[in-house]
Amino acid sequence: MAGGDVLIICEAGRGQTESANARLLAAGVAYAEGTGGRLVCLLMGHSLGSVAAELSRFANDVRVAESPHLANYDCLASLGIVQAQVAELRPELVLFGHTYIGMDLAQRLAARLGVAVASTCIDLAIDRGAVSFTRPMYRGRVTAKVVLESRPMIATLQYGGTEPPATTRAGTVTAIAFEPADDRRIRPVKMIEPARDGIDIAKADIVVAGGRGIGDRDNYALVDQLATALGGVAACSRPLIDMGWFGVDRQVGLSGNTVKAKLYVACGISGAVEHMQGMKESSTIVAINTDPEAPIFRVAHFGVVADLNEIMPALTREVAAVKAGRPSTI
Amino acid sequence: MNILTFAKHVPTSAVTPRITDGRDRIEEDGLAYEVNEADLYAIEEALHQRSAHGGSVTSVTVGPARAKEALHVAFAMGIDQAVHVIDETERGMNASLTIGAAAAVVRNLGPDLIFAGIQAEDDLLGQFGVALAEELGLPAVTAVTEIRVEPQGRVAKVVRELGGGFKQELEVDLPCVLTIQFGIRQLRYTPIMSIVRARSRRIETMEINAMPIAPERRRAASQLRVVALSYPEDGGRCEMIDGSPVQVAGKLVEKLVAAGVV
Repeated sequence: MAGGDVLIICEAGRGQTESANARLLAAGVAYAEGTGGRLVCLLMGHSLGSVAAELSRFANDVRVAESPHLANYDCLASLGIVQAQVAELRPELVLFGHTYIGMDLAQRLAARLGVAVASTCIDLAIDRGAVSFTRPMYRGRVTAKVVLESRPMIATLQYGGTEPPATTRAGTVTAIAFEPADDRRIRPVKMIEPARDGIDIAKADIVVAGGRGIGDRDNYALVDQLATALGGVAACSRPLIDMGWFGVDRQVGLSGNTVKAKLYVACGISGAVEHMQGMKESSTIVAINTDPEAPIFRVAHFGVVADLNEIMPALTREVAAVKAGRPSTI
Repeated sequence: MNILTFAKHVPTSAVTPRITDGRDRIEEDGLAYEVNEADLYAIEEALHQRSAHGGSVTSVTVGPARAKEALHVAFAMGIDQAVHVIDETERGMNASLTIGAAAAVVRNLGPDLIFAGIQAEDDLLGQFGVALAEELGLPAVTAVTEIRVEPQGRVAKVVRELGGGFKQELEVDLPCVLTIQFGIRQLRYTPIMSIVRARSRRIETMEINAMPIAPERRRAASQLRVVALSYPEDGGRCEMIDGSPVQVAGKLVEKLVAAGVV
């Protein structure tokens, strides 16, 4: 591979995040077209289905390491495979999705190669061959345009809502051998599947989610009441899971569920990157927060800067009134 | 068992920092600072492991003089020792230099477990723990939500997040670096007065320039260069609705009905 080539690390199979692949393809295609270079995908795992074939419609080559041993993410084996591919292909740019595996593997590769990573990138831009990355800082309150001085450039990309590239090509699919890592100090034991006790919120049309702003456990009743009035489900962001109020099946975000609701109401949620990753594709987003600079307002369609303790009861009453055909409460 | 935790002193997450005229940094004057939230979870977990296995917890911070406040909080939470690597030039923001200093502290203290929060709120890089482990030649696991150290104390069974509700259980040999995920444990309430009292606790202080750090680490300019900072673009799509709660409710529901979602 010459300069200007890009390697994207895609995911497939249980415990991996296929939904990040479209974003990686779009960025990889844009980069390769901009530099006249090649786009190579790497896929590692087990029971990968037709993902490799699908990726080969957009990439020059899809390298596949498929093994039962890789059914459970093996960070050291995966690092070895990525490292070997980078050594062989010598790409200018290596892209990962901003997923748990992507975040882990990108940092391992960067540390091994002694280079920097631009993580959590919102976008990358190519201007006359020079690449810059846009990424959040300070909990998303500030946006940074950054460049990487080291090579290869390594970045993790936020994802969601990307269309497949316009032009297709007939790329090759190449099986690559998997070998266990020499370093045996980290040993995968087992995968733990998500617990699904209640409603699958990912399938709900209407979601009302509470965040840290809810305050105490009893106050979550405001979320339940609004959800009931709207005919939707009640969910939450990470802090409420961390406080032990709910299991991860109620969580919206990278660690929990990705929802693409018709209506998403974020109550007392500031809008951490990992939360927004899980709801930003919803068609109508309402945000209620006392902080006018909360990052959540950037993805919302309607925003209310106010105390949810005042707004939510009023909203619940108004929704109930309108739905029952009673006069509005105004 | 000896546990080392790294704590970063970061601008408070409650306010949006001002960007300097040069647009390549934030204005640090007048900014309030706090302990990086993920590092608080790391300290909490370290204290839990100490309860289970005995031993000691040492917290370390690399940063300018003000960063000692992070160690006051750690003392208030209950750690045993604290180390402050004073870095007035780079203020803890040169990743390569910070890793070099951190590694020197680890080599000196020889802990069994090294914890750091999963990511720092200021740079959101998630780099520190993995880079430190690589520098030390130690195994690292990221996004850890559970830790059980085996009785003989040379192996830990950990659970880490994979996203989408998936997790995995792994075994990792000690000593190792674990980056700690939010919510691994409930954070204890630390009264302000206990933090104030902690100011009199002794902190082992060292100058970063006096530490055994490889010259190339000292010379390395940041390989990730900020070209410009800005405030995130609105996208112009958020319609703000104000008024009394009743008025807001009325207007909002009207819009939602028009959008066909109510």
